Amino acid sequence: MSNVDVDTGTVRVERTFEASAEAVFDAWTNPEVLRRWWKADPGHEVTIPVLDLRVGGGYRLEMRRPEGGEDMVVHGTYREISRPDRLVYSWEWEGTGPNANHESEVAVSFMEDAPGRTTVVIEHVGLLNDESRANHARGWNGVLDSFAGSGIPR
Amino acid sequence: MANNQVATLDRSFVAVAHPLRREILERLAQHDELTVGEATHDFPISKPAISKHLRVLEDAGAIVRVIDGRTHRLRLNGDSLEEAYAWLARQRELWERKLDVVEEFLRQQQNAAGTLDTPRTEDGA
Repeated sequence: MSNVDVDTGTVRVERTFEASAEAVFDAWTNPEVLRRWWKADPGHEVTIPVLDLRVGGGYRLEMRRPEGGEDMVVHGTYREISRPDRLVYSWEWEGTGPNANHESEVAVSFMEDAPGRTTVVIEHVGLLNDESRANHARGWNGVLDSFAGSGIPR
Repeated sequence: MANNQVATLDRSFVAVAHPLRREILERLAQHDELTVGEATHDFPISKPAISKHLRVLEDAGAIVRVIDGRTHRLRLNGDSLEEAYAWLARQRELWERKLDVVEEFLRQQQNAAGTLDTPRTEDGA
């Protein structure tokens, strides 16, 4: 289950795993997982020059495309580390994207609904910078809903 | 995302920043084509002001103007507005992908643990 709120620039994603909260939390923070996740293509060269899992510690992920071009880079700082319940970190794209050099926040909650079953909720908040959000204002969803009803492919 | 796409995205956000521009888009979304008069019917602003809003929407690529003699018809251009939404949707997909990787990683861990458990299970059988 997931949704995108374009009014607030929030992305919410949820999924349930057949594992304990500790196992999921540890997997989430595992450098090997980060490295695999970032590899959109087997040819991509992924480096994690910084990964300091403690409050105030930073991380940095870099993906180099084999064909060249601009690296995809994101960095941030860990703000809350409560194993195995919750992980909060800042998130900032580098480069030229619409939110480059704009800090957003990722909050990951790990809830063990039953022994060996954990629901993870990711909330990526503040994805749009102030200008985008102000320009965006309300009504965008209404426009999109109208698109949905108008037969325009989306 | 390439620079020109970013510029397009910025313009898309500007296009929907004004309630009257959103109203125009909403109206166009319900019809294939509207004349300028139909699309801006009841607007409490002057004709030059209306023209300005239409220009912003045209510049953003949100609408297309079809000139038929003396009649100007407006049509929605769905693609450009989709781009703004698509960018956020892509951010969501990144998280979905991370969840996929976490899921696969956990499965591999469990399989590895299961392999180690096998002798014990056989002992117990």
